[in-house]
Amino acid sequence: MPRIVREAEIDWEGTTARGNGVVRAVSTGSFALPSTIAARVEIHQGTTSPEELLAAAHATCWVTSLGSELARLGVPPQRMHVHCTVTMDEVEGAGHRIVASHVAARAVVPDADQETFAEGAAAADAGCPFSALIRASATVTYEATLEKEV
Amino acid sequence: MADRTAHVSWSGSLMDGAGTITSVGSGAFGPLDVTWSSRAEESEGRTSPEELIAAAHAACFSMALSHGLAQDGTPPERLDVDATVTFVPGTGITKIELSVDATVPGIDEDAFTAAAEGAKQNCPVSTALASVPEITLRASLS
Repeated sequence: MPRIVREAEIDWEGTTARGNGVVRAVSTGSFALPSTIAARVEIHQGTTSPEELLAAAHATCWVTSLGSELARLGVPPQRMHVHCTVTMDEVEGAGHRIVASHVAARAVVPDADQETFAEGAAAADAGCPFSALIRASATVTYEATLEKEV
Repeated sequence: MADRTAHVSWSGSLMDGAGTITSVGSGAFGPLDVTWSSRAEESEGRTSPEELIAAAHAACFSMALSHGLAQDGTPPERLDVDATVTFVPGTGITKIELSVDATVPGIDEDAFTAAAEGAKQNCPVSTALASVPEITLRASLS
């Protein structure tokens, strides 16, 4: 299979506590975003953080996984919404750690019954490369709801 | 404790459909379009989970390194960090390459290398992604 490479960079000025950085998508140029430590561990104030970028990555990874599993089961989805929440916490003796990622999915899948949909969601969670990676160190949970219309 | 959220909507199948990272909790970015072909083949200006992971890791590493250097009494003037994530469809994320070019007044090469290795080992994104088969670091002091 082909290797796919994606790049990003950040330029950081000064210390963590008082400095700030700009994180850029090098591969695609699709974003250039300011980032600070205060926005990461306190109130975000409209500034992104590594954990928000991971939430976006996990939601995107999960939705593509769900779509492909449903198609494999013969019930291609019409529309899916996936919301992801990544939690970072202070762990005694270890400092800040990413402890959890929760995925909440809603989907309109015209031909799917509840059982087939649940099977697709379970397969999506098992097969999503990002879920597999962070499950080694954090708790990954999901809920999936089959809807008539989203 | 800090929760950060993101929302994605997708229409249609994996191969022929398309998605959008509609919004994130901070409002800092979005909407960003995503498709399977732009993830697995040429990006054509569209982001992907792997690019977002690269951005998250670069940002996390730079904060951890900057913090470590300040704690050692040699705060950095400037850090330029790159992260490259390699994804193999069917296998998963196989490699992350971190690289940093730093301006740190008053530090020697050994102390800088140790701080950079420490940031690579301990930043929260590194520990969350510790099961990636290979994470490399190139650290250079200017």
